Amino acid sequence: MSTDRETTLAVRSWLEEGVTRLPDRVLDSVLDQVPATPQRRSWWPARRFNDMNTYAKLIAAAAAVLVVAFVGYQLLPRNGGIGGQPTVAPSPTVLAKGNFTTIGATVGLDATRAGDKVTGTMTVTRNEGDFTVDLQCSRATSAGSLWIAGDVTTSTDSTNAPMNTRAGIIFQRGSAVKAIFIFQFNDPRAATCQAFLDNMIAQVGEPDFASLAPIVGTVQLAP
Amino acid sequence: MDTDLVTRAQRGDEEAFASLAVAMGDRLHALSHRILRDIDLAEDATQQALLAIWRDLPQLRDPARFDAWSYRLLLRACYAEGRRKRQWAPNLRILPADEPSGPDATGSVHDRDQLERGFRRLSIDHRAVVVLHHYLDLPLEQVAEILGVPLGTVRSRLLHAMRGLRAALDADARPAQQEAVR
Repeated sequence: MSTDRETTLAVRSWLEEGVTRLPDRVLDSVLDQVPATPQRRSWWPARRFNDMNTYAKLIAAAAAVLVVAFVGYQLLPRNGGIGGQPTVAPSPTVLAKGNFTTIGATVGLDATRAGDKVTGTMTVTRNEGDFTVDLQCSRATSAGSLWIAGDVTTSTDSTNAPMNTRAGIIFQRGSAVKAIFIFQFNDPRAATCQAFLDNMIAQVGEPDFASLAPIVGTVQLAP
Repeated sequence: MDTDLVTRAQRGDEEAFASLAVAMGDRLHALSHRILRDIDLAEDATQQALLAIWRDLPQLRDPARFDAWSYRLLLRACYAEGRRKRQWAPNLRILPADEPSGPDATGSVHDRDQLERGFRRLSIDHRAVVVLHHYLDLPLEQVAEILGVPLGTVRSRLLHAMRGLRAALDADARPAQQEAVR
């Protein structure tokens, strides 16, 4: 029977064998295609972040609980006293809710929708900095993606999500849900959250989710 | 990698990207071939990865992390190629197991043959961990970062993969040992 060390040595030796040079025709083909291949605008960063530590998870979870409590309190019916008529408002439903990691960032998300009104919070934690988004708007596209965005209300990530800019997240439904962040880069702040999403969708369309990794964790998305 | 080249390519400098592609093409291709075990699939994956690198370069925030980022794009291309061609990808043996040769050489040939078989039975996820760690000599922490999975997952995949490869080697050794006892 082989030992672990023998197996490792055999595998390493075996891996040393094989192709080491890219054929010129492949390289030529790539370089021929480059002029006709537009570079993607950096609306969303494809950077890698380290996993959130336990404390950060606890804080994110606590923040999510507070958000739920706050949103729940705000949605409590307020009667106008004896004989007052109860306000009829659309029932809030879950728009997106979950805790997961994507592109190396750890996300705590709790967004609800009541009619056209979106409320909730997204907390994003990573090595380079954290930020919180007060979620205010959403769009679902015919291609199946769900866009949720809002104002950055707290941030230690001045590069990607400075305070008072807009940010959000896109989900692509499927057997493996995929997600990516969107940020207000180099553009003037849109007048409204919905205008921000509309501009993003108009300018960049559906992102190429084939190049994204699925989220790790769970998220409940509105149908 | 030269971060100046990366930065220039990020800004759309095609010549800078050509220099990058020449510098990293061989390494990426060596990786894709070792993961996919098929020269045609590896060429397609490398080509797709290089184009993806050009296309997505403006999204790379830290040019110093270009290498790890480019490996990740290559692995995605390997996943895509592996899925696309899985149905007809040949499961060929490199060399016949009964090829006559000296005892040492036979053992080596058999080992390679069995490793090839064992490796082909692994998923792309598991192959990637083995190749990144044992071929590129990357620490598991960096492998986890490239793959975008927790360190524990990488350890688990590596353990599972190496166990499979060890079983493949032992499966080959077993008949010979029985023969010797007789």
